[in-house]
Amino acid sequence: MLYIYLPVAHTSVNILLPIGLGLLVGMMSGLFGVGGGFLMTPLLMMVGIPPTVAAATDSNQIVGASSSGSYAHWRLGNIDFRMGVYLLAGSFVGGILGVQLIKFLREMGNADFVIKMTYILMLGIVGLYMFVESLNTLRKGKKGEVEVEPEQKKESRLASMVQSLPLQTEFVKSGVRQSAIIPVILGCFIGVLAAVMGVGGGFLMVPVMVYLLKMPMKVVVGTSLFLILFTCIEVTFLQAYTNHTVDFMLAVLLLAGSTIGAQTGTRLGKRLKGDQLKILLAIIVLVVTVKIILDVTTTPDILLSVTGGE
Amino acid sequence: MKMILVVLPLLLLFAAVPVAMAKTTARANHDEIDINYDYNGSTVSVSGDTEKDVDLIIKIYSENGNEEMKVKDKVGGLLWMNGETVVFGNVPNQYFLRSTAPVEELLAESQLNEHSIGYEALAANGELEPAMEPEKEAELFAEFFRYKEKGSLYSQSVGGIDLRGGEPQQDYYTVFDWPYQAPPGDYRITVYAVRDGSVIDVADASLVVEEVGVEKTLTTMAEERGALYGIAAIIVAMSAGFGVGVIFKTGGGAH
Repeated sequence: MLYIYLPVAHTSVNILLPIGLGLLVGMMSGLFGVGGGFLMTPLLMMVGIPPTVAAATDSNQIVGASSSGSYAHWRLGNIDFRMGVYLLAGSFVGGILGVQLIKFLREMGNADFVIKMTYILMLGIVGLYMFVESLNTLRKGKKGEVEVEPEQKKESRLASMVQSLPLQTEFVKSGVRQSAIIPVILGCFIGVLAAVMGVGGGFLMVPVMVYLLKMPMKVVVGTSLFLILFTCIEVTFLQAYTNHTVDFMLAVLLLAGSTIGAQTGTRLGKRLKGDQLKILLAIIVLVVTVKIILDVTTTPDILLSVTGGE
Repeated sequence: MKMILVVLPLLLLFAAVPVAMAKTTARANHDEIDINYDYNGSTVSVSGDTEKDVDLIIKIYSENGNEEMKVKDKVGGLLWMNGETVVFGNVPNQYFLRSTAPVEELLAESQLNEHSIGYEALAANGELEPAMEPEKEAELFAEFFRYKEKGSLYSQSVGGIDLRGGEPQQDYYTVFDWPYQAPPGDYRITVYAVRDGSVIDVADASLVVEEVGVEKTLTTMAEERGALYGIAAIIVAMSAGFGVGVIFKTGGGAH
């Protein structure tokens, strides 16, 4: 009685399973501003959902979770819309370039190897860096988010170069003044990587905003969710239109959990310091990295898989 | 091709020798399985009459087709990744086999192959693209059957068929668990009555698995109106997101 049949995935699941997964991943997106695709898609595949359906339906679910999260963060004044629009413009162009890059890699052969290695390396580096950095700041006396100073000295030449760039813009919400070119270029870089790795890019966007754009963590989470909302709307539509792989039934169940999870996560995030949030996200990213490394290095149980999935 | 050359004379031989006047029948408890929103698989019982002192082989299967898959390979001696794409041709997506005794003891290999009875026969009748060494091919087919068994789409077992005596006919009855993994479509049930190394009678029945109600509406829409379906999915997701946001705002005034 608790089972429901998923019409596009052609499989049956216990209702509580997708609702629970949604709750967990939605809470993460409210807390950290990530879509959670890097967690949800493999979890859905473990439940027996075909990989293509898992990825497409997850992006549909993220539309709901990030609307819910964006709304909550908007009410808390945590979204820097100006920064968001520049990043979005960049990542849109990056996405197009990324798709071309994949085509090129495919023609060269061994594209999957490059993609997998990029994925593992990016996750590992981002996770480690965030972990070490936030651990240091937490140790230093829990002063919160004043970690900018020493780095500014080190990067003085780069910083002065960056400051001489045209189109200097005041980003009021983030409290930074920067050339508008910077977020566009960084957005483009994220777009390329996200397209190559086939992920939404939230876990890349968050550290880029924290460390390279020097935005405060709270604004990062809100702005990131706002960006993810747009990316996932686009992906959901394209998947439904060209691949017919969005399972509406599954999406609704995931949504039931994730929209509530996103609200809870946002509220929980209010009680945590920026560095506590960073270290938690770093730990999750590192755990996922280890899991992926184990997955690809241990001999699989069955040496066949359906086309379209990793 | 060779197979057909071997099998043809055998067929002619059977046609020439009149076999016993056996009468085997087959019917399924229901010839239609409806996939509703709470569908979680079903059961299919197959029953009928057959002559006394025969062995039975019961097969439920879908039509043969092609299945494209990736073979996992160790790249750079380090990472297991999806490698070469292979196509298993002329194989059913779903295949259940149940018999009163091991099929190899009941029929000769040529007969098993002719009727596609057993995994070995499926491998013999199947094709693999691109062509490879027979050893590698056998290995991949074995892997294919394991993959299918893991997904509950293939099974092969001995026993579990109830025979109740009578003169001169006897009744048989067996129940298959029908997995939710078997997609909507047409399936066939074939029952072989076997005696002294040859098939003396064959009976057929059919089974239709069909989506109904909301399941059917959604599948049809996803396939035929992708754009509309996509937009609807986005609107529902956004409304759910904002809706829950508003509820939390008004409900949780303290925050």
